[in-house]
Amino acid sequence: MTSWNAPAKFFHWLVAVLVLAQIALGLAAIGWSLSPTKLNLYVWHKSLGLLILAVMALRLLWRLTHPGPGLPEGTPAWENSAARASHFLLYALLIALPLSGWVIASASGIPFRIFWQVPLPEIVTADKATADVAARVHFWLLVAFVPLLVLHAGAALRHHYIKRNDVLRRMLPFA
Amino acid sequence: MMTRALLVLLLIVTLPARAADWRMDAAASRLDFAATFEKTPAPGVFKQFDARLAFDGDTPAGGKLVVTIRTASADMGSADINKAIAGPEWFDFARHPQATFQSSEVRREGERYLARGTLTLKGVTRPVDVPFSWNAAGDAATMEGEFTVQRGSFNIGTGEWLATSVIGPDVKVKFRVRLRSGG
Repeated sequence: MTSWNAPAKFFHWLVAVLVLAQIALGLAAIGWSLSPTKLNLYVWHKSLGLLILAVMALRLLWRLTHPGPGLPEGTPAWENSAARASHFLLYALLIALPLSGWVIASASGIPFRIFWQVPLPEIVTADKATADVAARVHFWLLVAFVPLLVLHAGAALRHHYIKRNDVLRRMLPFA
Repeated sequence: MMTRALLVLLLIVTLPARAADWRMDAAASRLDFAATFEKTPAPGVFKQFDARLAFDGDTPAGGKLVVTIRTASADMGSADINKAIAGPEWFDFARHPQATFQSSEVRREGERYLARGTLTLKGVTRPVDVPFSWNAAGDAATMEGEFTVQRGSFNIGTGEWLATSVIGPDVKVKFRVRLRSGG
């Protein structure tokens, strides 16, 4: 079995854990009534988002310089294309989501430090209209991301349980 | 006649010089404040306020400072925060549209001055000391200073916001007021 290299696995599962936590935090922050807890949830969500952005930048660099194993011999061409397209989209969304969040954070004018420590440089000036547009973009990117995530996990399970190949196993840690 | 003239002369010599009256030049004056939000400075500004001053730098004792602030003119640079601070837990603009500082005593402190008095904010009146520097030239003067108040003393941030871990307890107030004599 040609496994993924260790850093690729590390990046994959780190981002997986961060992203699931991030979605939960984001939804909780929106739903919470205005309170100190809500503000803290937003600090966590913004901080984690920037961490995901940083990890994704490193991951992208690693992936471009260290290609992974291809799909098994005999995989239909459409599956190869679908895999390439969905992975490309996952990477793109995992970068676009934090970036659009960064725009919201800057445009909102709400004071913020990453993990309560490091000031975040502003990428746009504070402006309500900009913040509203960026928030809508952020939402629709999430709406696009979630089914893609389900497709990604579903395809991995299909490879494992139906096609009975090693596509899922070779991304497992310690495998 | 002679005695009367003497009396007037005596009055002029012994009476403290009448403090000059000053009016604020609103366009050239600023009233800033800075809270802390999630351990991050959160600056704001009161866009509408007025300072009335009777003051003479040489004889500060006769001075009197009255500052009125329209609380709803507070701008913290964020639409969300501006909306939040309008509410009853914060400034409560609807019930307390105005804050007032009124001095009871003005005195010299080295090179600078100190206006002691009371600040009435959100219906609560507390003693506040306002140190300031004074630069007068002709009929114009600049008054500058800063001081810190505890938001809790004025019920700014009630309920869950009483806790100071997310929104800090201290609010620094900073002013630069340009004045013209007369009026």
